Amino acid sequence: MSILKVDNLCKNFGGVQAVNGLNFEINEGEIFGLIGPNGSGKSTTINVICGLYQPSEGSIFLNGKKINGFKPNQCVDMGISRTFQNIRLFGDLTVWQNLWVAWKDDRKNQGSWFSNWFGKSESREKLISELLSFSGLETRANDLASNLSFGEQRRLELARAVASKPKLIFLDEPAAGMNKEEVKELRDRIFRLRDLGITIFLVEHVMDLVMNVSNRITVLNFGKAISEGDPESVQNDKAVQEAYFGQ
Amino acid sequence: MDYYLGVFQTIGVHTLLGLSAYILLLTGQVSMAQIGFFAIGAYSSGVLTVIFSWNIYPALAFGALLASFFAFLVGFPALRVKGLMLVIATIAFSEIVRLITFNFVWMVEKDGIMVGAEGAQGFREIRYFTTNGWDSSQVVLLIWIFVAIVMAMLWWLDRVKAGAVLRAVGNDELAAQSSGINLTTVKVAAMTAGGFIAGLGGGLYAHAVSYVDHITFTILMATFAISYPILGGTKNVFGTLLAVIFIQGILIEAFRFLEDWRLIIFGLLIILVMNFMPDGLVSIFKKSNPGKGN
Amino acid sequence: MNIEFIDIVQALIDGILYGSTYALIGLGFTLIFGAMEKLNMAYAASSIGGAYVGLGVSVLLSLPLYAIFLIGPIGGGLLSVLVYICCFRYLPSNNHLAALMASIGGLFFIDEIISHETDGSPLDFPELGIFSEAYFEIEFSDMFLGFRGDLIFVMFASFLAMLMLMYLLYRTRLGLATRAVSQQPIAAQLCGISIHQTNSVTFILAGVLGGIAGCLAAASVGVISPLLVLPLTVKGLVVTVIGGLGSIRGAIIAGLLVGGLESVFLLLRGVNERDIYVFLLLFVFLVFRPNGFFGAEIDRD
Repeated sequence: MSILKVDNLCKNFGGVQAVNGLNFEINEGEIFGLIGPNGSGKSTTINVICGLYQPSEGSIFLNGKKINGFKPNQCVDMGISRTFQNIRLFGDLTVWQNLWVAWKDDRKNQGSWFSNWFGKSESREKLISELLSFSGLETRANDLASNLSFGEQRRLELARAVASKPKLIFLDEPAAGMNKEEVKELRDRIFRLRDLGITIFLVEHVMDLVMNVSNRITVLNFGKAISEGDPESVQNDKAVQEAYFGQ
Repeated sequence: MDYYLGVFQTIGVHTLLGLSAYILLLTGQVSMAQIGFFAIGAYSSGVLTVIFSWNIYPALAFGALLASFFAFLVGFPALRVKGLMLVIATIAFSEIVRLITFNFVWMVEKDGIMVGAEGAQGFREIRYFTTNGWDSSQVVLLIWIFVAIVMAMLWWLDRVKAGAVLRAVGNDELAAQSSGINLTTVKVAAMTAGGFIAGLGGGLYAHAVSYVDHITFTILMATFAISYPILGGTKNVFGTLLAVIFIQGILIEAFRFLEDWRLIIFGLLIILVMNFMPDGLVSIFKKSNPGKGN
Repeated sequence: MNIEFIDIVQALIDGILYGSTYALIGLGFTLIFGAMEKLNMAYAASSIGGAYVGLGVSVLLSLPLYAIFLIGPIGGGLLSVLVYICCFRYLPSNNHLAALMASIGGLFFIDEIISHETDGSPLDFPELGIFSEAYFEIEFSDMFLGFRGDLIFVMFASFLAMLMLMYLLYRTRLGLATRAVSQQPIAAQLCGISIHQTNSVTFILAGVLGGIAGCLAAASVGVISPLLVLPLTVKGLVVTVIGGLGSIRGAIIAGLLVGGLESVFLLLRGVNERDIYVFLLLFVFLVFRPNGFFGAEIDRD
């Protein structure tokens, strides 16, 4: 069953067509890869779906509900969360507080308005400590986010995206600037999220990672999908090779 | 003795003013409107005790609530704009309030004399404390009880999610929004809370000095209000208190012999601090932050 | 008082003529904002300061009247570049808040120095000689509309200053560099343009405009006082916002508009309430047109 459906999505900035008539559908529980050369519109696609920009044309459906023009926080309420290409943490907050800000209680044991903003809850403590061990940051829980190393910041940002209990996560180049070992750890984390039933939308330049984890891949060039399919077929597609290496 | 009580009174009131700007600064907003809310609190609670003979506590509460209501109203249009535009909008708001107090006349006869606000002459004879037999040390104590309550509330706020959310918005609005935070709610709430604290400070001030007029509410005072948390830093509430003691206690009071040179020095001081410690005075106590160096 | 339509038109005319000084101040704010994306809160203070310098130097050296209008702008330019050095030059370029606060410090520093030196009392400012006495009347479909000679001079001088500014900005290499820095600071640096040099020039230009505006405003009122600084600051900011931050033609149009409306409010509601309505105008714009007349989409802080 499809969780996200994008229909003829367009976004132009002035005269520039960043995304031009994009169609795709993501099934629940899969890992969907979006790749393409620099400037092909990958980040714009994420930003439009997550509510940073209004789409110029086209529609976005989440579980069959149209979410065009939703604000980013409304998208989070709908069960979408994301990471950013250039890490955006709350630098003056501790690691623990970063997760706390994004944390949302389950709908069924949703406490009162007051306890959400001012109170304590056991499920919160439990979730946050789980997230800390998920991202390997247990020992740094009380350090300021701005004092973390680059790799730790990436891990924290991923954990923060999970803290809002999303059904669908957008990862915008999560492996950028990582070494081989860290990419491997990241891959394991992505699999663990998938095993928890979270659908993953992966934008990535590190081909090793995308080809290894994705169920399906769409290749973008100049804002248009030029190829789609399983990793192998995409890899062998002539059009893709041309887009990346020229003719 | 009375002189020192007066200094404590000033420091207490200015701390409330500074804390009202502090809570907004946490969300990254520089508001020059705090003195406008202060004025609303001062005039409305003054009207209630003087003209309607209310008790001081409900009058203070009403003044603070009215100020926070105006803060809530100002919040929506002002928050459509960010940063520098917000500064301009809030300056304009404070000037509008000041000019309204300049034109505000509401006088009634009481015990043979006219009392109330008299336009440019100001609002005189706000004598609740003297007619009810308070001495000045009790007034100072009352002010500082409120200061302590507000500081304790803000201290507690940093220990619950709401405080983390305020700082998150101040750090990175976009990331906060993408973590599920409704920016409008948070900012308007901060504005409303700031308005409440400033209005409370205004009410206390008006009754403590028994006389207010439009000159009390100039842009200079708005600058004082915002400079306390900026100089003191937003690490915790005590920075603001320290900055108030430094400026009002030392610069303005201890250097009284410098006369009008003190305000010249105040201007110079802001320039110097911003040049050498753009993150505020408290930044010299912070341990160096490797992530922020570049 | 019975106010007739002709009184309103007359007030509007006087106000628009005088509003050209607001246009100059708004232009200065917008010029600096355009170059650095920062607000120079000390700008109106340095403008009035320039007028004081002009007055002081002319009186001390017993120079003729017109010397004020030469020395004043020079003083304004010098004070403005001083503000740049003290409040902008050495501050982190991405910290808008620090520069804003520093320039507020500069505002009070200049304002209080003036108050200190003059004991806070207003000084007589020489009137505009023959222009002050001149008065023109025009008959316009049964209405007699008057034009005060000094205000016509104010408008004329303001527009001359604006034309000179336009020439510098759009017809010289200097202006090209200024615009390059404001649009792409890093690229401009890579092309060998010094940011600090061009910013200094922008501040000097803005300061000269401010000095002219300060002298003209003081001359048409007949006195100069430190009490002019804060209202001029706020009105300059209102003009800048209404015109759209960074828009030159916006600042000019908004300056004339604010001058005209202010004069009408003065007629209808009196001097004590006049500014309330001018400042409320800003909120009207914030609600319905937050980017002003010509402002680009503002999404920064």
